[in-house]
Amino acid sequence: MFYVFLLLALMAIATLLFITPQRAKVWVATSIIAATAIGLVVPAVGVLTGLLPTFQYAITSALFGQETISIDSLSAIFIIIIAVAGITTSIYSKGYLQQYLDKKSSAHISLHYLSLVILVLAMFMVVMSSGGFSFLFSWELMTIASFVLILFDAQRREVTRAALTYLVMMHIGFVLLIAAFSTLYAFTGQASFDAISLYISDGKTILLFVLFLLGFGMKAGLFPMHIWLPEAHPAAPSHVSAIMSGVMIKTGVYGVMRVIWQLNQANELYIIGIIILIAGIITGLWGILLATTQNDMKRLLAYSSMENVGIIFIGLGIATLSKASGAESIATIALCGTLLHLINHSLFKSLLFYGAGNIYSQTHTTHLDKLGGIAKHMPLTAILFLVATVAICALPPLNGFVGEFLIYLGMFDSVRDGMNTLPAAAGLLSMALIGGFVVLAFSKLYSIVFLGSPRHHHVAESREVDNYRIVAMVVPAIIICLIGILPQYSIKVIEGVALQFLPSATPILEQYITPTLFYVSLTVLMLIIVIALLYVIKSRAQRRRVVTHGPTWGCGFTSSNIHMQYTGESFAEGVESIATSITKNTIEGKAVGKGEIFPTKHNYGIKHKDKIDSLFAAWWVEFLRLINKRIMSLRTGKINHYILFALLFLVAIFILSLLNLI
Amino acid sequence: MAVLLNTILMIVVALTITGVINRTRALLSGRKGIPFLQHIRDVKVLWRKGSVYSTTTTTLFKIAPAIYLGVSIVAMLFIPVANLYPLISFEGDVICFAYTLALARLAIILAAMDTGSSFEGMGAAREALYGALIEPALMMGFATLAMFCGYTSFADIFEFEQAFDLHHTIVMLLIAYLFIQVAFIEAGRVPVDDPRTHLELTMIHEVMCLDYSGIDLAMIKIAGWLKTACFAMIAANAIATTCCFYWWFATPVAILLTALAIGIVESTQARNKLVRNITFVVTISAMATLIFFIGYLLHLNIDI
Repeated sequence: MFYVFLLLALMAIATLLFITPQRAKVWVATSIIAATAIGLVVPAVGVLTGLLPTFQYAITSALFGQETISIDSLSAIFIIIIAVAGITTSIYSKGYLQQYLDKKSSAHISLHYLSLVILVLAMFMVVMSSGGFSFLFSWELMTIASFVLILFDAQRREVTRAALTYLVMMHIGFVLLIAAFSTLYAFTGQASFDAISLYISDGKTILLFVLFLLGFGMKAGLFPMHIWLPEAHPAAPSHVSAIMSGVMIKTGVYGVMRVIWQLNQANELYIIGIIILIAGIITGLWGILLATTQNDMKRLLAYSSMENVGIIFIGLGIATLSKASGAESIATIALCGTLLHLINHSLFKSLLFYGAGNIYSQTHTTHLDKLGGIAKHMPLTAILFLVATVAICALPPLNGFVGEFLIYLGMFDSVRDGMNTLPAAAGLLSMALIGGFVVLAFSKLYSIVFLGSPRHHHVAESREVDNYRIVAMVVPAIIICLIGILPQYSIKVIEGVALQFLPSATPILEQYITPTLFYVSLTVLMLIIVIALLYVIKSRAQRRRVVTHGPTWGCGFTSSNIHMQYTGESFAEGVESIATSITKNTIEGKAVGKGEIFPTKHNYGIKHKDKIDSLFAAWWVEFLRLINKRIMSLRTGKINHYILFALLFLVAIFILSLLNLI
Repeated sequence: MAVLLNTILMIVVALTITGVINRTRALLSGRKGIPFLQHIRDVKVLWRKGSVYSTTTTTLFKIAPAIYLGVSIVAMLFIPVANLYPLISFEGDVICFAYTLALARLAIILAAMDTGSSFEGMGAAREALYGALIEPALMMGFATLAMFCGYTSFADIFEFEQAFDLHHTIVMLLIAYLFIQVAFIEAGRVPVDDPRTHLELTMIHEVMCLDYSGIDLAMIKIAGWLKTACFAMIAANAIATTCCFYWWFATPVAILLTALAIGIVESTQARNKLVRNITFVVTISAMATLIFFIGYLLHLNIDI
């Protein structure tokens, strides 16, 4: 009954979207998303504050039997993240799609908005369904909807390619998830998350966990299943990248968390923690090293999403293995850090993708070395992007710092107490490296795009974008600042989830984490006040001095021009010497030779591709293609051949059953 | 009272280290040398001067020195001087310290890139890379301290003198060595960077501030002193815990140890070729990891 109702509702939404005029479609989509979001955020906030009990709703369907939809604290957090991202995305799309309204057909735009609505609804469903079948149903719905969203610019060849890569990889993951749930169903007679705890006694917990990790990791972009990320994000329109990178990949993390919640009692919890930690470390380091070498804004951001998923998994791994070894305080801290980082990342990554969208719509490129000096033309975008940059570098005073601070604190406490010293040290070392390289990657991104002089005439003609997009960006920016400056209140949101994971978390939260975060907040405030004071002192002092303006000091060279500026490629030159072992560089054109005293015009470009990509151009792919060719020769197109095949099949079945083989 | 004295001593350390470095270098090269407080006079002059701003720059360029100095001031307030107390101290403040300094790095890199100069781009790119590679050294150093002393805040780590213990002494001396190495890099000194070099192509830190003048440059210089003082004091504290844990011991040690190390290295060594710098910085980070392992083994009381 539920599914019939759902399908009817979707059809009604589809009809509504298709019949409304071109310019009003966005408002229909926004209002549907906003209505659903508000309708779900109210019970979610109720659950988080403890005012409402865990919300539950039983659904019975002829297809999947009895299942429930419920909102507990973990779902509630994800509901809030999805709601914020969903609403800002649809508002942003109002401005972003404006220029496409005249170019694309009405059906095209309707399909896009329909998919956007379905994506948001499906994500809500994913985080609320506790039954396996309804979960898989909404999971698949989410994949299909995002596939259609990526395909918006389908006339570009790389877009179709990226979308197909995405679709194929998601379905490999989907098969793994089906396998995992089927295993559960076969052993326990139930295919829900709750059944995992029943399965534990079987002793094959690790295998089941790995199956789930692979399935969910495909969505989350865990190494080496990340290759769809840097393809799909640049191909999709920016608001779609924002919601996909900010929220949709988090549903993979959500799945892993749900599984771990149920494995609370397993003896193998420690090994599971180690597996998650290692996955996180490799993902994080791989992601950030590739991010620093990228020359395309959106590819860089996509790899940075991978790196942040890595950080989330490092935190989760530390939390899990600390819980397994009985260090509850450390587990609570690391878990709070993980959850906070998850919330934070959804905010600043959306903001970064919105910023990238603003730039793309004004300059028609996302190639770093064609941009430059945008801060002067698009000051609001520049300020908002800077907020996100500082936040993603995990620097005080913004929110990224708070989340990573807690993860670090968990690891430092592990080292201090001598609990799991070596895993925690490994986590620390990789987090420190990741942290350092993030500053490099994002100082490169920000400075090449926004600072200096324009490298291309498109940039000089760019103007600030419309207010819809700015509003959509201001909302996450404000939340980023609030979480950063007042972290001790934001931790309250997470309390419920921490309690789900560790029933004894309350005293740790109240006596340790909250006071520490209070001091962090004081320090951060002090930092802001000191900086502001110094700036005021400086400005006042300068009133009495001679302040002049002139060209940039060229170190004695008088005819420097904008093409002499440092480019993204040259900024990351040092890292490239480190990253050569994991990247495959392809050079286009020819560099200026050393012997050329009077160089002529050269075209030179370099692309840093992921080495993992070559895994899909290896011998086994060729082998599969050959087999495929052989099999395809059976497809003759003649009906009598097909009837013969069917007959052969029946005879084979008959013989096999006679011999008792099947 | 202790907090006030602590802060004053930190400022004293910050102001004198450069003087001692200059004096050491002069003596070793057989010169009389510039007056001891010449660097402070230079900054005073800069403070009174007007400024020239590049027309390419945005407001970010003007805010960056304030951020750099502000961050360095706040970072200084984390560090205790032996048995005294710092102003800011809470569980996990070591993390806060490292990340606050990273904010300064981001600010100064962005400011350098804001000018659109290829020279400043060079400096910024190098600073970003070395900063990224030195981060593990900092964190592993702090982790070793946390493991060995059982606390995650500077004030608790350097709280009292330990009874003589060979393991403790070994680790603390290694930590002191590590943080002096970190100070070399953070302060932009030989062998990584040379503040007195005459060729912009080979500069790192100095070339990033090429477009700064007057009060901005003064702020950047002061911030640099404060940053060096932080690392010098951490190293001095590590030494002081092993023998004589009093502020009147730690302060001169901080000044002399770092300044003499820098001065002697600058007078006797040439700076690295730039391509060797990456190896040099990575070596320090690797050494920090090694120190952590040594600390871990000693902590477990395994004989090595």
